[in-house]
Amino acid sequence: MTLLSAQGITFRSAEGVLLLDGVGIELAAGEVADVTGPSGSGKTTLLRALARLLPAATGRLVLAGEDSSAIPAQAWRARVALLPQTPAIRPGTVRENLLLPWRLKVHAAEGSASAPDDRALLSALDSVGLAADIGLDRDAARLSVGQAARVALLRVMLTAPEVLLLDEPDAALDEESATLVATATAEAAARGAAVLRVRHRGSDGRAGRRLRLAGGTLAEVSG
Amino acid sequence: MNELAGGVVEIGAWQLLLSTGFIVVVGVLSLRLALGLERDLAVATVRTYLQLIALGLVLRWVFGVDSAWLVIAILVLMMAAAAQTIIARAPDAPPGIFGPGLVTMLLTGFTVTFAVTGLVIRVEPWYEARYVIPIAGMVLGNSMNGIALALERTFADLDARAGEVLALTALGATPWEAAADSVRVAVRAGLIPTINAMAAAGVVFIPGMMTGQVLAGADPLEAAYYQIVVMLMVSAATAIGSVLAVLLSFRRRFDAEGIYLEKGYRSHG
Repeated sequence: MTLLSAQGITFRSAEGVLLLDGVGIELAAGEVADVTGPSGSGKTTLLRALARLLPAATGRLVLAGEDSSAIPAQAWRARVALLPQTPAIRPGTVRENLLLPWRLKVHAAEGSASAPDDRALLSALDSVGLAADIGLDRDAARLSVGQAARVALLRVMLTAPEVLLLDEPDAALDEESATLVATATAEAAARGAAVLRVRHRGSDGRAGRRLRLAGGTLAEVSG
Repeated sequence: MNELAGGVVEIGAWQLLLSTGFIVVVGVLSLRLALGLERDLAVATVRTYLQLIALGLVLRWVFGVDSAWLVIAILVLMMAAAAQTIIARAPDAPPGIFGPGLVTMLLTGFTVTFAVTGLVIRVEPWYEARYVIPIAGMVLGNSMNGIALALERTFADLDARAGEVLALTALGATPWEAAADSVRVAVRAGLIPTINAMAAAGVVFIPGMMTGQVLAGADPLEAAYYQIVVMLMVSAATAIGSVLAVLLSFRRRFDAEGIYLEKGYRSHG
């Protein structure tokens, strides 16, 4: 079943470069897809467009049969969650960072998933190999780059979005951590999320589909 | 021998020449030390003469005309000039903040000025230019600095936090939720000089209004009371004005969809 559908997504950079030229993509619930392409080809731009985080992008977006125009931007982003490439860790503890979404109106609203308790947070840290290293009370400013990247990923995953858009989620990680992150991501897909990853590393065997973005157009890579 | 005119020491040509002489000494110093400031110093001195004499003449005229409309018109002009100055001092701010700046100056300027003249000093008639214009000048001059600082800091801090703002927005934050930290930092920055001035008043320096009144022959304690009133009102104007100006303008860095317009995306806004 198609969860997220994008058609004719077009975006021209401020310098006039046509980064997305009528791009179309369909993501099904439970699937993991990877986007590859040369540096500067617009992979990050595509993820931002799908998260409705790209000013002046045009095209049609449909989430679970509902047109984007019918969904407020904040509600859309809570359901179609983008993890930016640079982890934005805020001052405070690891716990405060993981619970940050629930300080926002859209996640605190009635009908949203309630904030996880410490046990759930520790279990999440454990799933990406962090529980033994850092704990919930660690000052987040003291996290290493790889730890910060995983905390930022968990912060997004804990909100249980329907679509996960991950911009190089394993770029700052060693092989072992990258494998744990890939497993956690695949588990999110197994629970029904659609996952779109931008990756530079070689295939990790998790993606059912590989797409290549070049010259503003997106094409399936066979094999 | 100086003549006392209504308690004020009259300044004549000699006194003006004497003070200018000090500036000439500074000019010579600048030449000898190759500071390169002679020209700026000369221009600034001439401007001081011209602007303050013009102000004196205008005020003399306004005091004579005794019209409420004229006083209001002058206040609006002063506030528009203050709003323009605020924009010039906040180069990181988005276009279109003259409106919020002017609204802020009008609201805080009028409210605080007339609160002081009407409720505290109880000026009769309420528009008495001799009181209203100088007090408006003090309120505007001080709050303008704080507001400009707060606006500049808001947008500079948002740019510095652009990555975090994007991450927050991606989590579903509204523009206010994404910008709140920067707004707090900025309003604090706008208020700190005012709080410092309040803390140092009377110990490190004698504030301008009190100095003026004492020079004019007023009782120092009376002058102190006046200064307390003005200082507290000016601080309140700065605080309320900074909050108002930032709240009215931070949203302009976000587009209709609530996306923060980073440097590369501003032409799309």
